[in-house]
Amino acid sequence: MSSDQNLSADVVIVGSGVAGSSIANELVRAGISVIVLEAGPRVDRQHFVENFRNLENKPSYQGPFPSTPWAPHPPNQQSPNKYLHTTGPDAEAYQQAYLRLMGGTTWHWAGCAWRYLPSDFELKTRYGQGRDWALTYDDLEPFYYQAEVMMGVCGPDPSVEDLGSPRKQPYPMEALPLSYAGEEFRKLITEKTPWRIVHEPQARNTRPYDGRPTCEGHNNCMPICPIGAMYNGSYSVYHAEAAGATFIPNAVVYKIERDAANKKVTAVHYYDPDKGSHRVSGKYFVIAAHCIETAKLMLLSADEQSPDGVANSSGQVGRNMMDHTGVQVTFISGDKALWPGRGPLETNVIDNFRDGDWRNERGAYLVHMVDDNQVDFATQLAISKGYVGRELEEQIRYLASHTVRLFSHNEALPDPENRLTLSKTEKDALGIPHPQVYYKLPQYTVRSCDHTRSVFKQLIHLMHGTDEEWTPGYFPQDHPSGSTIMGVDPKDSVVDGHCRTHDHENLFIASSSVFSTVGTGNITLTVAAIALRVADTLKKELLHG
Amino acid sequence: MTQERRSLFAGSWRASPNAIKLNQSMRLMRRDVLLSGIGALAAWGGANAAPALDTVPPPVPAVDPGLARFMDISHCLTDRTELDSAVGAALYAGMVQATPERRAHISALYDLKAKHRLVTAAELAKAAEKADKALKDAIHDIMIGWYRGVAGGKVVVYRTALMFDITKDAIYPKTYAAGGPFYWTSKPPEVARPTGLPALSPSPFVVEPT
Repeated sequence: MSSDQNLSADVVIVGSGVAGSSIANELVRAGISVIVLEAGPRVDRQHFVENFRNLENKPSYQGPFPSTPWAPHPPNQQSPNKYLHTTGPDAEAYQQAYLRLMGGTTWHWAGCAWRYLPSDFELKTRYGQGRDWALTYDDLEPFYYQAEVMMGVCGPDPSVEDLGSPRKQPYPMEALPLSYAGEEFRKLITEKTPWRIVHEPQARNTRPYDGRPTCEGHNNCMPICPIGAMYNGSYSVYHAEAAGATFIPNAVVYKIERDAANKKVTAVHYYDPDKGSHRVSGKYFVIAAHCIETAKLMLLSADEQSPDGVANSSGQVGRNMMDHTGVQVTFISGDKALWPGRGPLETNVIDNFRDGDWRNERGAYLVHMVDDNQVDFATQLAISKGYVGRELEEQIRYLASHTVRLFSHNEALPDPENRLTLSKTEKDALGIPHPQVYYKLPQYTVRSCDHTRSVFKQLIHLMHGTDEEWTPGYFPQDHPSGSTIMGVDPKDSVVDGHCRTHDHENLFIASSSVFSTVGTGNITLTVAAIALRVADTLKKELLHG
Repeated sequence: MTQERRSLFAGSWRASPNAIKLNQSMRLMRRDVLLSGIGALAAWGGANAAPALDTVPPPVPAVDPGLARFMDISHCLTDRTELDSAVGAALYAGMVQATPERRAHISALYDLKAKHRLVTAAELAKAAEKADKALKDAIHDIMIGWYRGVAGGKVVVYRTALMFDITKDAIYPKTYAAGGPFYWTSKPPEVARPTGLPALSPSPFVVEPT
């Protein structure tokens, strides 16, 4: 084991995903020195594109991204899992997928860039459920816009299509045109239901932006956009590096060191792949290592000073695990051909269930009609039905053009019993325990999912659907959150409204782990906005004392 | 060591021996499957085999008459007069490597077709299932091979799999779009409800877990 005392920066960041890399970019451009420690390797897009094309099970979003022995991530969403071990009555509903790579998990996201609604930050006050955040929508609004500019978000004109999150500026780019399938679905919803379809705001280029091309509709946003028309964290890494930030790959942080008073963090320690240990000191520290790895690291840093883990005087580190649990159904439409899969994956959303007085008893949700190429699915289905030859080819064309997939993101609530702990039996190649999570779906979410199923049945009926295939149970949407929950009271929360830990004045957390509730819509834009707000706080303190 | 790493530019770190080794470990190798199949075809046809490179040895004998039989019944089961012989060789190699008894199944299908002078895919499939239920699984493998481009659970071809050939007037394989920005707003072709019947009994449809 070696030791290195020379690594130091004004700000040391753990994790190079959208949160860590965007903070690094903001700080280094303000003249603040930054070191970012990334557990996984530096990677390039073309490997993953090639891996995707070679993958037999194309819907496996983790499939093209093998992990390393020193920074394992879940190989798939199957339970039991080789890395993320879930237990409890709804263990399978928390089998999250994420990546430990330079650039983070946005290597495979759909680019959906929702702002939360003002009510999402005040669930307790407005509806008597869950918690309030220690910040308001208005606090975050400028950073939402900053994040949209950073990522390059396209979205609808709010005067035409108000998504419910007040804006001071228009979206940086015009909304993405709906596909033919999306447009036909929109007409159906408009004409036959009381609901509406909106253009989903997306971090996807509708014109050349930030040196990246316009989306060409490769229909592979997940698991890997082949041309970089969709933002991911690697672009913030590149920008930050160009401005002078230091990113160290394969640096697995395993300990957060504090001073004798246990009030300030003095350094973090990381292992390289050969388990050589290195110490990195700094003035400020930001843990931006994804909801699950962030809590894991803080628990892993337990010592005599903090026997329950760093920043854990409240006992809330690792608790309150949330997600957007999903309901999913696939069926064959009896109406005209839609040919889903022409264009980006997710472009249209039914947003009528994002907010309402009913949130006092059941969770909110949104509905996607997924614009996913169904040719491979149709082929497997037709072969299983017993078709061969010419008849098989006719079936493939019909099924590929008429298959519809609906899924939802349903809101969870923070429950301290839903808890991440360190495995006592499973360890990685460096001897670091794997994470394990106990999960029981809140009844609030169960009632929300029940409502979703009733809506889906109405939609199947409207489309004269047959061959319904419901995904069994509840499935995870890979939006884990809550493991270092935000609040005003240090007794029941880990960070304050600025994402500063209550226990350690120079330790911040930038991750969905700080979410007090999880709202609806993908979490990434809110993660980015929170991260940029952390960067703003750090700039003020470092540059102006 | 740490100082060395920090002093390197990003590009040079990517090119270091460790990174190259890492990059290799992070690739899924379709080439192994395809080249082994092409090697088998070359051997069968009497031509020089493809260079071995880092691929596994061809899993089939130097001359395998089973390949010709495989191509013959493939033409029948797809109702097609033309199929790519190089792809066929790779599919055959992958199939018999994963399931050795497929050699015997392919011979049985070939003999059945010849004995009863069967012409269409439906005729052969019906006769095969009636003769031996194990032949139904072999037909499934052959259909998966040609239409999905998969043999033995591995991708042999993706973009040129038949499922994309028969839908190319409407849609692109993922990662291979070529219609330009916003092509997806145009109206795709209508598709009439098929009237043809399945030739084989249905099988459970199992969606692979993600």
